[in-house]
Amino acid sequence: MVRQLLTGNAAAAWGARLARAEYVPAFPITPQTEIIETLADWFADGSMPGKFVTLDSEHSMLTAAGAAAATGVRTFAATSSQGLVYALEVLYSVAGWRVPLVLVNVSRGLSAPITLGPDHNDVLAARDTGFVQLHAETCQEVLDSVLLAYRIAEDARVSLPVLVNLDGFFLSFTREPVEIPEADRAREFLGDFTPVQPVFRASRPVAQGVAVLEGGLYSYFRYQMHRAVQNAVAAHTAAATDFERLFGRRYGTIESYRLDGADVALVMAGSFTTKAKAAVERWRSQGRRVGVLRLRMVRPFPAAEIAATLAGCRAVGVIDQNLSPGLGGIFFHEVAGALAAHQVQPPVLRSFIGGLGGKDISQAEFDHVLETLESAHAHDGPHEAELLFTRTEWDQVRNRLALAGKTWERSAT
Amino acid sequence: MIRIRFHGRGGHGVKTAGRIVGTAAFLASLQVQDSPVYGAERRGAPVAAFTRFDSAPILERGVIDSPDLIVIADETLLADAGAAVLAGQTSAAAVFVNAPAGARLNEKYQILPPLVTWDITARTQAVLGTASALSAGLAAAAAKLTGLISAEHLLAAVREELRQLRATADVVDKNVTIAAEVFDQLSTVRFAPAASGIAGEVLTVGYEGVNLGTASILAPGNAQQRNTGTWRVERPEIDYDVCTRCGLCQLGCPDGAIKIEKNGFPVIDYDHCKGCMICAQVCPLHGIARTKEVRSW
Amino acid sequence: MRVAREHFKSPKGLPVEEYLTPGSPLCAGCGGLTTLRLMHKVLGENVVIVNAAGCMTLLATFPFTPLKSSWLYTTMASASAGAQGVRDALDILRDSGRLPPQEDLQVLVLAGDGSTYDMGLSSTSSAIHRGLDFWYLCYDNEAYGNTGFQLSSASPEASHTSTSIDLIHQRKKDLFEIWRAHHPAYLASVSAHDAVDLAEKVERARSLRGPKLFLSLAVCPTGWGFDPEWGDELAHLAVETGVWPLKEAVAGVVRHTYIPNRFRPIADYLEPQRRFRHLFQPHRNEAVLAQMQAEVDAYWAGLGTESTLTPRAPETEHAPRV
Repeated sequence: MVRQLLTGNAAAAWGARLARAEYVPAFPITPQTEIIETLADWFADGSMPGKFVTLDSEHSMLTAAGAAAATGVRTFAATSSQGLVYALEVLYSVAGWRVPLVLVNVSRGLSAPITLGPDHNDVLAARDTGFVQLHAETCQEVLDSVLLAYRIAEDARVSLPVLVNLDGFFLSFTREPVEIPEADRAREFLGDFTPVQPVFRASRPVAQGVAVLEGGLYSYFRYQMHRAVQNAVAAHTAAATDFERLFGRRYGTIESYRLDGADVALVMAGSFTTKAKAAVERWRSQGRRVGVLRLRMVRPFPAAEIAATLAGCRAVGVIDQNLSPGLGGIFFHEVAGALAAHQVQPPVLRSFIGGLGGKDISQAEFDHVLETLESAHAHDGPHEAELLFTRTEWDQVRNRLALAGKTWERSAT
Repeated sequence: MIRIRFHGRGGHGVKTAGRIVGTAAFLASLQVQDSPVYGAERRGAPVAAFTRFDSAPILERGVIDSPDLIVIADETLLADAGAAVLAGQTSAAAVFVNAPAGARLNEKYQILPPLVTWDITARTQAVLGTASALSAGLAAAAAKLTGLISAEHLLAAVREELRQLRATADVVDKNVTIAAEVFDQLSTVRFAPAASGIAGEVLTVGYEGVNLGTASILAPGNAQQRNTGTWRVERPEIDYDVCTRCGLCQLGCPDGAIKIEKNGFPVIDYDHCKGCMICAQVCPLHGIARTKEVRSW
Repeated sequence: MRVAREHFKSPKGLPVEEYLTPGSPLCAGCGGLTTLRLMHKVLGENVVIVNAAGCMTLLATFPFTPLKSSWLYTTMASASAGAQGVRDALDILRDSGRLPPQEDLQVLVLAGDGSTYDMGLSSTSSAIHRGLDFWYLCYDNEAYGNTGFQLSSASPEASHTSTSIDLIHQRKKDLFEIWRAHHPAYLASVSAHDAVDLAEKVERARSLRGPKLFLSLAVCPTGWGFDPEWGDELAHLAVETGVWPLKEAVAGVVRHTYIPNRFRPIADYLEPQRRFRHLFQPHRNEAVLAQMQAEVDAYWAGLGTESTLTPRAPETEHAPRV
């Protein structure tokens, strides 16, 4: 075991290397490119056997990845943002083929306006594709999640592609100390890839990706995929148990941070959860009973575990780093649905939108969230999603608008 | 509500027939739904169309499982199990088949409701000079049998729909002539109020593993189990006295429905031959004859 | 003029094996299906077909497939990338001793003109550029056929489709030249009418490593508007009028494999088709017909003056791998 400073991108590349991925179709996009550059070096110097190939687009890249997996080779790919949505059609396709592979997405806000900063609208656009989704908080978790992802993907109960998400810049370009497992220990955790459905061989022709024109049949196959995604919880639990035994780090479908006896819970995903934890420490030192629930496995959505964990909280605030225009925060609605389905009714349930396109969520904003939750009452009635925005940011926006030659419009609503 | 299900082959015009009846009912200020089966519209292949109309709003969608009236464009469809033209026939007040008057089809095909026949093909052949576009006659039969559509609305609908298909004025007029004649000569049947069919078990589907649960096929070449021979409107027949075993018919058959026997002679696989007749055209000695299989073509 | 045949002297010499069973749901008289069947015959067994959305996607409609070979439907735009993934995976397995040689497969992309000329062009261009060892068959019926015959960039001048607005200014994209500029190992135009020419080309391409691309004019009774029995005759007329030249390019060098001794007027090919009916009814549009004839004449007048590409030696099966 080696401990060294790695960026999230390098950690993702190490995950692919330790998983002994043999095929990497690639296409560059910021902030993911460092992953494929690292892997290209390793294929070039022979430390990763197999083949690395640059395609003409993410759409082609993911098609090649799915086709290779359908031929029986362990495959890895990485993308980000526009690349993920450019490939979106193919995400649906390869999930429908029920082929295991791992796709790393480095989250970045979507155009327009085109941007480079991270948020989660890209990865959540893929939430209905049939990919299992794991969202990482740290660079260590990125590496570990890639290994776990292969175990889930190749589990006979699942047999689906898995998406591992890390935030652009905050993880992708940020170095942290990361333990790199020994290769033989990684091999002990993750054996060779043995396909669980027929692959393309001369002796056994198979037609894959076949048209299905009957609604009943189509429903059957899609529902089977849904059940397979649900099976990822059991597959993850088994893999995480082995992982903890071998490497000492424990992962759940969600992470509960200081939620025991908490009155107020924040729900978040990704790297900014670290900042929420800092706020929790600060609030706890003030005697306020607050904790954080981090969404780690996003598909399947661990609704029962979320509901059980939040049962007993007086107030729940979901901070979404995404925005579904006309709806609000995506996770807020998923969490609200999970709570309702399990008859858990916190008196206060509020939605906050923060950190879009790389915008910070400051401690002041966390304080605002907590104060909102603490002062809210059950009978306040429904509440709109609130955009977290500071005075400094507001002033900066006004300044930029003026520089862009915009005059103040006295527009109504 | 009247639910009419039209059956024909790609090219017969059952989609247009369904639209003519729909338009006629619309002109009669009724509520209407009409739709074709989508995606399978190959020449000669079994196709279907659906028309519903009612004085009250129609609270149904999609295919018609329990028709009040079944309209069949050609007798050969009754023999094609895959076309399932009699599905749900117990709810139907009548089955109309385009066949010569007095054709004894009830017992042969186990048609349960009252059978009505009329030779639209012969009339269409006489008036239009071709017998494959049957839409006007089929629509007129359906309209008259229901007793709820006037000749005026029917004929206006024939004009409207054929104009939309860019038919020439002459063709439109001839179709109106056919429709008027069919309408005039058939009688209305009695429709009983249909019982709304609420039956059937709803079950729970569990996880069945990746092999069952993936849309993959592990039986290569199993399309042979699908009988595309029923699409055929003309039947090629090899004259073995003429055949020189050149093999060109075998090479030219798109579907590979001609096999070469050990003795070198070609044999047509009639279970699958779609009747494109390319073989007859490529035969250098004109040694492949044709016979009409579907009367209405 | 017909080039000397090296492998197949006559139709009777073609392999008898069939890898496509009857029973597919494609239209009666489909020219694309004939081409695929003939090509597969010569390619032999052990093929995986990677398909782009189009008419042929209906070949494998659950629960039936007419293919005795394997099949992977991808998307409309990325069949060549799918071919890349399958080929690379087979190579990885073979090179590491996990795939016995008898289990290896030839990879064949099967796509219509809509995919090939339009949205699939990027993925195919890059596959050719990378020198991917694969076969490609484009069944070109000159429109988006499976959706009911709409305009594609393969639709020829003056041909009517259900979305043609400007019949006179539409021109067929010269895909042969676009592909040729990529220096594929092998490139040919073929016709289902000339099975021996098609088979010869498959056989000639077989020893070459790299992209082996086939562009076939696929007569389409449904979209073009003619009785299916005339399919072979129309394919024949396309060649005899010079509208569809039969040619090949090995490492970029073009050779015509058949040149009619006397060209028939293109009207002979156009007039039987409903999509060109407006050129003949109610009045014969002499101006457009003359212009179309002149364009075909100009093609053949320029024979032998194709811009030469920088020659690159074709890679053979025995050449070292890069």
